[in-house]
Amino acid sequence: MGITIKDVSKAFGNFPAVKEVNLEIPTGDFVALLGPSGSGKTTLLRLIAGLEGLDSGGIFFNDKDYTYKTIKERNVGFVFQNYALFKHMTIFENVAFGLKVRPRKTRPSKKEIAEKVNELLKLVQLEQLANRYPSQLSGGQRQRIALARALAVEPEVLLLDEPFGALDAKVRQELRHWLREIHQRLNITTIFVTHDQEEALEMADTVVVMNQGKIEQIGSPEEVYQKPANAFVYSFLGRVNEFRDYEGSDAISYIRPHEIALRKFSQGNSILSEVSHIHIIGSTVRIELRRQDTGVLFESEMSIEQYHNLGPVKRGDILFAEFKNIVVFDSISENKKTHEAKMGIRNTLKSKLI
Amino acid sequence: MANKKKRHRVLPGFGLSIGYTLIYLSLMVLIPIAFLFLKASTISLAEFWETVTDERVVASYKLTIYTSFIAALINAVFGTLIAWVLVRYDFYGKRIIDALVDLPFALPTAVAGIALTTIYAPNGWIGKYFEAMGIKVAYTPLGIMVALTFIGLPFVVRSVQPVLHDLDRQYEEAASTLGASGSQIFVKIILPAIFPAILTGFALAFARALGEYGSVVFISGNMPMKTEIVPLLIITKLEQFNYAGAAAIAVVMLVFSFVLLFLINFWQWKTTKKYQMN
Amino acid sequence: MIVQELREKNIKTNTEPGLLKKWVLITIALGFLGLFILVPLIAVFSEGLNKGIELYFASLTERDALSAIKLTLLTAAITIPVNTIFGVLAAWGITKFNFRGKNILITLIDIPFAVSPVIAGLVFVLMFGSQGVLGPFLEANEIKIIFAVPGIILATIFVTFPFVVRELLPIMEEQGTEEEQAAITLGASGWQMFFRVTLPNIKWGLLYGVILCNARAMGEFGAVSVVSGHIRGLTNTIPLHVEILYNEYNFTAAFAAASLLALLAILTLILKSLVEWKTRKH
Repeated sequence: MGITIKDVSKAFGNFPAVKEVNLEIPTGDFVALLGPSGSGKTTLLRLIAGLEGLDSGGIFFNDKDYTYKTIKERNVGFVFQNYALFKHMTIFENVAFGLKVRPRKTRPSKKEIAEKVNELLKLVQLEQLANRYPSQLSGGQRQRIALARALAVEPEVLLLDEPFGALDAKVRQELRHWLREIHQRLNITTIFVTHDQEEALEMADTVVVMNQGKIEQIGSPEEVYQKPANAFVYSFLGRVNEFRDYEGSDAISYIRPHEIALRKFSQGNSILSEVSHIHIIGSTVRIELRRQDTGVLFESEMSIEQYHNLGPVKRGDILFAEFKNIVVFDSISENKKTHEAKMGIRNTLKSKLI
Repeated sequence: MANKKKRHRVLPGFGLSIGYTLIYLSLMVLIPIAFLFLKASTISLAEFWETVTDERVVASYKLTIYTSFIAALINAVFGTLIAWVLVRYDFYGKRIIDALVDLPFALPTAVAGIALTTIYAPNGWIGKYFEAMGIKVAYTPLGIMVALTFIGLPFVVRSVQPVLHDLDRQYEEAASTLGASGSQIFVKIILPAIFPAILTGFALAFARALGEYGSVVFISGNMPMKTEIVPLLIITKLEQFNYAGAAAIAVVMLVFSFVLLFLINFWQWKTTKKYQMN
Repeated sequence: MIVQELREKNIKTNTEPGLLKKWVLITIALGFLGLFILVPLIAVFSEGLNKGIELYFASLTERDALSAIKLTLLTAAITIPVNTIFGVLAAWGITKFNFRGKNILITLIDIPFAVSPVIAGLVFVLMFGSQGVLGPFLEANEIKIIFAVPGIILATIFVTFPFVVRELLPIMEEQGTEEEQAAITLGASGWQMFFRVTLPNIKWGLLYGVILCNARAMGEFGAVSVVSGHIRGLTNTIPLHVEILYNEYNFTAAFAAASLLALLAILTLILKSLVEWKTRKH
């Protein structure tokens, strides 16, 4: 099922959650709606499901107008952030629910329902838990049951709201691969919401970056990371250093920490910087430095091998930093957004860079 | 495009549930109460004033408010103590005691009324000891207070208990590491935390006592000017077929109750707001 | 956590002055409860049985007593379903949707709690009594509400009006709407969603509200007293029956009938504790 979203807006009271959004999702695509909290990504997902009513615009499924169709008519599978499993039903009953509530004419027989549920439980690898209750399951297991339940009604679109938000890091990693596999096997159009850029880049075919109710960029994971459309996308998709060309300037230069090379000897255009902190985080090393010329702090990132190749470094050492890939965005409004949504270190450069 | 204007609701039944609620509420509660005000307005303002400020009526207001206030005060003190004991201590039979606190909610007021009257009568199980000391309980304002204390008891206990239960022990521990004594901790740390709950319970017990009839009417003796409560006076007027007079007194009482209810709600709203800001 | 709590309790209560304080406070609390709650409860049964078990049962099986019991059961049998349906619908509308004036609606529903039972009876006398607004119309059509069974039922519905909805509001508020939304996305109809998802989730709270509503409906005195007219064998509920016997100095029979209501109260407390225990477990 292909989905087209046309000029869709939705406000809650005075707060505009989604502002004139346009989006085209081809059949079978695996889409991540990525953005910070309050960016409107969950609202957009709920609008597609029919769980919210829109203020203006239209939603089309395979070019048919679905704007005012009921939730039931849309035939979407929705996985809620907190799973919303029915507490008083067993796992089997939870998964069977969507089939059991069908009108008598289209309802499968008891045997068919049991077969279908067992098949789904096998798909999510939890067939041994059929008679348990949701409270007896771990978070990751609940997530998989929620997905099996949504798939039971054979939806043409699968929508997931922060599917792995409530899980710990290890389980999250496993489930990412698993969901990816399921998508490849079933090939239904899938849209999930996340605030985790790594999750979006790793899983999705298409990443939709949202901010303040608007879409900032649509593209493949590679595109949005390598060719960010603006400062917001650039800074949201990874750690970043930010330099102002001169005080009061609107133009801001950005560079990712791994694009700063450190050497003990001068080579090409490099800036003398003093090491102020060294963080070793597993296989990566982050070094915080202070520019000798401007006194501004910035961050460099490298693999542990590169760190060893650099030779022994300690606090207070002076190194040469080479800025390899500087990006400049100069729209005023974009810069303001960047300030608010910043995830990396913030730096201000007093004099012209390089 | 008419659809667009209509607010989208995901779950069904909004119109049915709220529509039914409004109709049922109006038929069963709002319209009957409106008729009360309507009836009271059939007499002239002067007549109304004369009825509600009659010497006997004013005496009953005073008695009702005074006994209700004292009873609520007794409950504030002992209710807090009972809540404390139930939350902080373990002893045999605690579960049963906890359940018994709700008896005044469950026991019909008439039953409570005749039981208390029998016990506190001059020759009753407890009344005879008071009689020996020269104190009459039944058929005096004291008896009314006993009945009102009975019916108001659960209010304070049940509003203080959960607050006390959720009170973080860390504050008390912090205070004791800073050298505070047991009584200092209670007065400076615990009491301020549970005071809003005590006040809420007090107000609820007071409001309930003002309108109470069944448990009081047996023990009070019902002597005009001395032990006649407002609800009884309303019934007396009704028995004399003075419907407007009954309505007039009821209006005064109702307005008083509504103001009290409003103040309680406002107070609760304000304290929850204060908590949220912290 | 539990170990820490136990340790705290040990520190607090196992020292000499702490132990003394504990038992002094427990004694005061139990003394107060005994004096005000336990003694009256015992008195009811003791006074009812003090002339022997035969007279006790004779008082309960006498014709007027039986008709009072019947009327009380009838009143409860009508009041409870009516107020339960209202309670569930009102709680559904209030907790699952946002709309203007919600707080006002909740306050209005609370009104019967703030109104003296006597006034609750009075409002129906003023509406349907012979001098009331609709009195002439009712008389012309020979419909009797006041001093008859319908008045008793109306007054009882009024005083027990908020019980069920008040119990359901916090429970349904806390449960939110996600499970219901999930049911809808899975294709359930409104009634399927309600009976398969909502009702199982609120059943204990609902039962709790019904138990309280029942206790009040069977035991209501003030409001019923005003509208009943005290016609023996016709418009007497058990509480009114108790009053008449008591005022006739027929104390044994009065307390025998009262003991039925006291048993009901005890049963109510037991059921209430069971439901509380059940919900805590879930």
